[in-house]
Parts: sequence; C-alpha cells; structure tokens
Amino acid sequence: MQLSKQARDILETSMRQNKTKEADRKDIEGLISALPQDRVLIYKNVVSNPIGDIYRYSVHIRIQHMLTFVTFLTLAFTGLPIYFFESFWAEPLNSMMGGVSITRVIHRTIAAVMIFSMIYHIFTITLGSIWRIRHGIFDIRRTIIPMYKDVQDFKEDILYFSGKREQRPEMDKFNYKQKIHYFAAAFGNLVMVISGSSFLFPEVWASILPESMASHFQELMRLSHPHEALLALLVIAFWHWYNVHLAPGRFPMQWTFLTGKITREHQIEEHFLEYLRNLVEVPEERETLRDMMESRELLSETDASQET
Amino acid sequence: MNIKIIRFLTVLLGMVACGNTAQASFEDDEGCLICHKYPNMARITDDGARRSYYVMPEIFANTVHRNVPCRDCHTYIKELPHKPVDTGVTCNTECHSVKNPATGKPFSHGIIYDAYSKSVHGREKIEDGIENDKPYCITCHTNPLYNPKEEAPPKHVIDRCVLCHEDKKFAEQWYKHTSRRIKEVKRSSVEIVALCSSCHADEKLIDRHVKKAKDDNRTLGKKFPVAVKSYEHSFHGKLTQYGFTKTANCLDCHAEIDNYYKSVHEILPSRDQDSPVHKENRVETCKRCHVYADDNYANLDPHPTSHKDDNIFRYYAEKIYNVIGEIVIVALVGLSLFETIGRRRDGVAWRLLHGSSWRRNSKRGRDRKV
Repeated sequence: MQLSKQARDILETSMRQNKTKEADRKDIEGLISALPQDRVLIYKNVVSNPIGDIYRYSVHIRIQHMLTFVTFLTLAFTGLPIYFFESFWAEPLNSMMGGVSITRVIHRTIAAVMIFSMIYHIFTITLGSIWRIRHGIFDIRRTIIPMYKDVQDFKEDILYFSGKREQRPEMDKFNYKQKIHYFAAAFGNLVMVISGSSFLFPEVWASILPESMASHFQELMRLSHPHEALLALLVIAFWHWYNVHLAPGRFPMQWTFLTGKITREHQIEEHFLEYLRNLVEVPEERETLRDMMESRELLSETDASQET
Repeated sequence: MNIKIIRFLTVLLGMVACGNTAQASFEDDEGCLICHKYPNMARITDDGARRSYYVMPEIFANTVHRNVPCRDCHTYIKELPHKPVDTGVTCNTECHSVKNPATGKPFSHGIIYDAYSKSVHGREKIEDGIENDKPYCITCHTNPLYNPKEEAPPKHVIDRCVLCHEDKKFAEQWYKHTSRRIKEVKRSSVEIVALCSSCHADEKLIDRHVKKAKDDNRTLGKKFPVAVKSYEHSFHGKLTQYGFTKTANCLDCHAEIDNYYKSVHEILPSRDQDSPVHKENRVETCKRCHVYADDNYANLDPHPTSHKDDNIFRYYAEKIYNVIGEIVIVALVGLSLFETIGRRRDGVAWRLLHGSSWRRNSKRGRDRKV
C-alpha cells in the first residue's frame, strides 16, 4: 500500500524515535508496500482476539478508569436522590443508603476518591510525558491533545458514515470522539469539583472572589452541579456506553479497560496511524499481520520476494 | 360528613364528658356553664361557618388558661343572657383575677402583643380588606392549649412535693405550670416553614399584596412574591426538607436570635434598619451560623430564583444550560445512529466471533475472505 503523507510522516517519526535498524526498516517498508491499498480489506481480514491483541493502556490508566467510573456512578447514584429529594424514586434510594443524611456523607466521601483519581491521572500523564520527552520518544500526535487534524477526521468520518467516502480517515491513537469525550469528562470533573466545593465551603469562595461576582458564581455553581451531572450521565449513557458496549463490533463490550489491549481490527479501523507505530515497535505484530494477510492471499508479490 | 352524625357524636362526647365533671371541674363562679355546658350550644354563621360554644369543663380545667375566670378575657359579657359578641377576645386584655407574681400587677400578654403590633404582621383583631390577610395571635398559636400528658402528673413527683407543700392540688397545678414551660415548645424547622408558608405561599394572597403595593406606590420586599418557592429550592430549604434541624428556617434569619420568643413576634421588613435581613445587618445575621461570613458572603442570594425580573443572570444561565443539554443529547444520539448505519452498511456484525466482526456481506463489496 502507498502510505499517505501523514501516515508516512508518522511512520518515519516512529522509526527515528525507536532507532529502528536498517534490516527492520526494510522489513517494515516491505510489509507495508505489500499490503493491499484498500485499508478496509486489512481490518476485515485480520484475526482478532476479543479480549485484545495490541497493548494500549498502562495499568495506571486502567486503575484510573476503574476509579473514575466507580466513583462517577456512585456519585450519580447518591447525588441524584439528594437533588431530586422529593421525587418518588429518590425516597427508596435514600432509604437504601440509610437516609439522606447518610447519602450525603457517602457522596462527599466518594467525591474525595474521585478527586484523588483526578490528581493521580494528572500526575501519571505529566510524568509519562516528561519521561517520553527525555527519552526522545514524545510525539504530540500520539497524545490526547486536540489537533486541527481531528476536525478533518470528524468531517471525513461523517462523510464515510453517510456513504460518500470509501475509507474511514486515518486516525491516531486517540480519535476525535475520544478527545471530545476525554475533555468533556475532564471539564465535567473540574466543574463538579469546583461547584461541589462551593457548596461545602461557600464562605471560602465568597472571600476569594470579588464582591460583584460572588453571588453570580454561587448561583452558577448551584445550576452547574446538577446540570453537569445529568449531562455527564447522559453522555455516559448515550455515547460512551454506545461506543464501548453497543456499537456494532464492540458488543457486548471491549475488554480494553481491563486488559489494556485493543483488538487488531479495531486498531486498524479506527487508529491506523497508531497501528503503524505498533508495526515499528512490535516486530511480532509484523509477523502476525504478514501471516494473516498471506493466508488470505492479500499480500502482493513485492513483499514475498523481500521475505525470501 | 352527615350533620346528624356530627350532632350524635357531639352529644355522645358531651355525655361521656359530663360523666367526668365531678373529677376535674374548674370554679364556675360566673355561671357560664349554665348554658355553655350543653354540647349542642352551636350555630351556623351567616357565612356558613359552624361555630361551637360548648365548653368541656374537664378539658378547660387542664388548659393553660384554667385559672383565668371566663370574664377576664370575655370582658364584654356584662349580663346573662349576654348580648351578641362583636370582636370577641383580644389577646392583650388584662386579667384582673390573675396577678403577675413578679410585679404584682394584673397579668396580660400586653408585652408580646405590643411587640407583635409594631411588627410587619401587626393588625387589629377585626380588620377589613388586605389587612385581614395578616396573622392574628390565633393564626399561629394553634398549638393545643390542652396537653393530655399533664392530666396525671407523675405520682413519684407529686408524692415528694406534698411532703412540704401539703396541698396535693397545689402541687399538681405547680407541676403542670412548670413542666409545660421547661418543655421545648419551639416549633421544628419544618413546622415553622409550613406555618409561614400557609400565608407566604398563597399565590392569591401574594397577588393581592403585590397589586395593592403597586396601587399605593409602595415598595414591597423584592423576594416577597417568591419567598417560599425560592427558599424550598435553596440549600437551607432543601436541608430543612431532608429533616435537618440545624439549617436556617424562616425565623433563623428574619428574627433576632436573642430573646427568640419575643423577636419572632416582631418581624420587620428587610427595608427596616432594625431587621436582621436589612442590608447593613446581613453579615451579622449570616455569622450566626456561617462564622467565616464576610460582606461578599452576605451578598449571596438566600432566595435564588431564575425569574427574569428577579435574577436575569440566572435566567439566561439556565436557558443556555438547557440549550447545551438538548444539543448534546441530539448530537450524540444522532452521531451514534449515523455511525451504526455507516458501519453496518460496510458489513460489521454486532459481535466479534471467530476472530472478526466483519462477517457480514457488504453492499459496498470488499468483504472478508472466507
């Protein structure tokens, strides 16, 4: 396959950063040139293990995800019956936890765990990035930071879904959906922490802010906490659970949050640029892909000659 | 309920009650019970209200007013049978038969009545028009004057009293007097909110007063029309609904905390400089509970609403939030559906089986090689 300019750049950067040897370079180039030009044929014909083939998330990220989703659901489960105290469904939920006074204590305690998870995450990604920069293997395109390319990817993806493109765009380790999702969650978390703290410590916030803002801020926070909570719950329910549980090919669930691994077909379909890096970093993956493609007679002659 | 049944029950109750008169009656020196002992002593007023004038002696003998002869309050009764009553009992009447043991003067509720008269709620007992909406003493003092628990003072206490105060009746009376005053009679937060709401949440009443103030070109408190609703949505209101007793109820801010029992009778509008919720006094009022409160804190709105007239900032903030929420939901559901259709068209199956999710045949070709 002939790589696009972007993909070529990613591949070159990865090989340079990984100090790939000449023999390996040849191997990679050979494999890529022998792959069919149509990427659809690659991800449709590879064999994937449902619990994941390719390493994606470190154990820290998996723990943070676990902490975040457990605290998020518990906070929603305790927060909603506090806010909608008078609703018919709130009463049994509050009773289940020992009354609204206990629900409130649980809510605040779990909030502390959520804040810990947030700090832990910031710590992990900061130290991880510093480590990568110092070792010369940092690539901003491989991070969650939004780029202009994401806008293009979004446009291209919509065109693909509506049948106007043959291929999905070549997306990086984190695609536009994941970036929106990540920053929605990060922003939401921040809003919840700030607004929650303004309920717990209203005097502190009032003394920090200028007089003209103090009241507006408090009111905005009172609106934000329940609104953001409902919005987050809806985003989680409609979108995240759709993406990782309900979407075709992902049903009943992706195991990535436990195993830290992504399936091969998913990586090639939605994170092709990251898959190119995988080919550089994991020699076994090259072998596996080559075998799979060969068995389905999808490798062109050029590579076969390279192999011998 | 059928009027006959009511009458029957009243008579039955009267008969049962009459059977006990010998045990605990009060001194009827004025002969009021000659007529008022009859359970059927009642009438239906021109307005259709049912009024009973029946006095149950054994019940009255256990009320706080048991030692007050009828005509100390019903001063307008000069002869028997008496003339129709106009105003009835007002609560500032001096009781000539009961002396205040501290001053030796005739006892009266004058002090508290004066305080109430000067408050925003003050009115005469009989008022016309809008003044009639204000509460009179008995609007709030609906607490039972008769306390069944006082009917039989504990024997072990009375036995001890009579060792020195030989008269058992005196000991029992004294027990009733002191035990009632030692007991906490302050209403709970929920009860206070319910009491204030009985008028301040009445929309017709609010409309009447808003209109009248406008006609008179008089300023009304900014929060007057939304007082109860906004309180219910505030933190204080919610916590009170949860049953927390330490959260501020209406009186915790609108009355002085010193000399509580008096100050709740002299509530003033916020524009009055002596009101604890007057602009100048708010910090001190907040500090009663929020010890670190400062000027900024006192500016926080304790009665927040999203009404455009009341708080335009919050009104638009809520609008924007709602629009964002709706857009997000539509966008996410739309994108998810779009994605499902797009990828299904290309041959994806729901589950990853036998190593692939792309087992279906696609209309666009390029299928998985079997």
